[in-house]
Amino acid sequence: MNRAWMLALGVFATIVASVTGLVLLPDRQLRATQPVVDEDRGVTLPAGYFGDAEAGRKVYMDLGCIYCHTQQVRPEGFGADIERGWGMRRSVARDYIYDEPPLMGTMRTGPDLMNIGARQPSAQWHYLHLYQPRITSPGSIMPPHRFLFEVRHSAEGLPEDAVRVPDEFARRKPEWIVPRDRARWLVAYLLSLDHNYEVPEAR
Amino acid sequence: MAAFYIALWGLAALLGATAVGALVWAIRRGEFEQLREASMSIFDDEEPVGEVTDRFPRN
Amino acid sequence: MASTAETIPPPAPEERERLTRIQIDRSCRQTVVWYYASAVFWLLAGSALALIASIKMHSPEFLADQEWLTFGRARPAHLAAMIYGWGSMAGVGTLLWLQARLTRTRLPFPTLLPATAVIWNLTVAFGMIAILAGYSTSIEWIEIPPATAVLFGFCIAVIIAASVRMFRQRESKHTYVSQWYLFGAIFWFPLLYVSAQIFLHTPAAAGAVKAAANWWFAHNVLGLWFTPIGLATVYYLIPKVIGRPVHSYHLSLLGFWTLAIFYNWAGTHHLIGGPLPAWLITVGIVGSMMMFVPVVTVAVNHHLTMVGHFHYLKHSPTLRFVVYGAMCYTAVSFQGSLQSLRSVNEVSHFTHYTIAHAHLGVYAFFTMVMFGAIYYVAPRLLNAEWHSAGWIRAHFWSTAVGMAVYWLGLTWAGWEQGRMMNDPRVPFLDIVKFTVPWLWSRSAAGVLMTIGHLSFAWLFWNILRQRGAYLPGPTLLVRKGEPAGAAAGGGE
Repeated sequence: MNRAWMLALGVFATIVASVTGLVLLPDRQLRATQPVVDEDRGVTLPAGYFGDAEAGRKVYMDLGCIYCHTQQVRPEGFGADIERGWGMRRSVARDYIYDEPPLMGTMRTGPDLMNIGARQPSAQWHYLHLYQPRITSPGSIMPPHRFLFEVRHSAEGLPEDAVRVPDEFARRKPEWIVPRDRARWLVAYLLSLDHNYEVPEAR
Repeated sequence: MAAFYIALWGLAALLGATAVGALVWAIRRGEFEQLREASMSIFDDEEPVGEVTDRFPRN
Repeated sequence: MASTAETIPPPAPEERERLTRIQIDRSCRQTVVWYYASAVFWLLAGSALALIASIKMHSPEFLADQEWLTFGRARPAHLAAMIYGWGSMAGVGTLLWLQARLTRTRLPFPTLLPATAVIWNLTVAFGMIAILAGYSTSIEWIEIPPATAVLFGFCIAVIIAASVRMFRQRESKHTYVSQWYLFGAIFWFPLLYVSAQIFLHTPAAAGAVKAAANWWFAHNVLGLWFTPIGLATVYYLIPKVIGRPVHSYHLSLLGFWTLAIFYNWAGTHHLIGGPLPAWLITVGIVGSMMMFVPVVTVAVNHHLTMVGHFHYLKHSPTLRFVVYGAMCYTAVSFQGSLQSLRSVNEVSHFTHYTIAHAHLGVYAFFTMVMFGAIYYVAPRLLNAEWHSAGWIRAHFWSTAVGMAVYWLGLTWAGWEQGRMMNDPRVPFLDIVKFTVPWLWSRSAAGVLMTIGHLSFAWLFWNILRQRGAYLPGPTLLVRKGEPAGAAAGGGE
């Protein structure tokens, strides 16, 4: 073990081997994955992210949502993700083909969001929840994202997507929140998270 | 799919064989002798074996 | 400094060509001290962010109106400060000093190497500002935007050049075990970082495979950057402090190569139950279980070296931190191997259990070993003693106890959290409610650890200003035959 080149070769070889096995080979296997086609509705799924949802995905990333929320439904019988209603089937690689990068997450301080668009399709619920999580979810430890909203106290000239804040949470009654652009984009993204379509590899 | 598995197992076999080969080559070459000297290489006359070289400060 | 030469006897005639330790240490002074001082700064910054993030978890209204400090940004900023700031800079300082000592050559590039410390600092600072401003890549362990991270590449290139130059100029044919680990670290880290940037930010990998690349990278930063530097340090400092060679050099060899082979493959255990092919996950579990081999090898080796000498823990600050760290390396690795089993992972995945495990590794192992290294190296570079044993004790006990409280609280909380999560009858918000008191215990532990860090920073500030006893020579202790206290030259 006294020759530098021998050491260097071993060091190099071990890492090349692992990157081949853990990244290059799976990439080979999965690269050709295509979305499934739903012939009845004439759509391909997953649909990808466009417009507000695409911008909202960036907001999700910049606010660091991955540090408390996952986006991966585990298989039936391994944990209770499906029994909890977090998805009708486990997540598969196909679900992430348009996710650059995939936002799978590693902590469930909050629930899994892979299918939150299906589970919670109300934009108003999401606006209230982002503004002050404890309005919709008592006991939640999620941080409030008040900075994503404007606060108004008069009904005059309120835009359509304004939401009334329940009086017990209002700083001054009556109170409405008007989502700023980033809030609208983020909620559009969350509402797009719906992977409850069938895929052949997870029947 | 079959081609993929051949590649996977092929790679595993190749890596395993390389590791064993490297080990045999190293033993033959005498890389595993004189190891004791190497473990002593961090000592010398200034800081010989048996001398402790750290303590709490005096205050 | 001039008086140093007068108080040391001249080298024996046959050794006149050989550099003394003093000369080697002096050549390291500027670079290593700059890296260490920077590391201490990032330790404090990272601790502040850690406390902020921890408090926000159980008290979400804390500083809630500051968008730049929202939990989702504070947490990755904390990670960046600790991994790329504190950990990597303490690691690089130690790595350079160890290589100079082991090759018995001067540290080269006396202008360029200290400059890399400045550049590294700027990179970490820009990276953290980027994260707090909302430009994080949102990929764990590699949140610093690639345009900024490219500066790390320059620093590493210089560090590699310095390492290779010292290695080629080494006087002894024998390479010590620490040198293999350091060589590994210095080549693995850039290969990992550059590959990760390519896979994660170009079409080289797509979709779900990016997650495999992410965790291949993140896990290997632990195992092929931090672990080798930590083990190299333990392998050098335990024998050096107690004056006894490593128990079995054969075991050292086995430990190094099995680490190099198996650690590399463990990364996909972060994706158990996830949307990747089952074979990929299984390979990760196998690699993780095989890690028992190098870990047991290293543990046996270090233990048998220490046996009969544990009483030195009373007398040596370095030994305390290094042995605490080495034992936690064994513990965290065993825990990690077990966590990779599907049955355990089913409960522990996605919970606070994993966070406790992560800190057992990066803090209880790596950080504590780095504290030990700095306690040994700094006096030898600055020719001054640490100014107070009391503050050293305060540092040790607050961090040792703080870490234990941290790990116990979150491990228990995480395990229960996981069990409840797997029971669909338990409403999610009830699980959250259960974890809250344990999140408070983590904040308490964090306060204790931060007190330790502040003590350490105070000690480091004082030794920089050479407030402690003046040391004429590299060895702090009594030489054979001299009465105790004679070595502590001038000063008190």
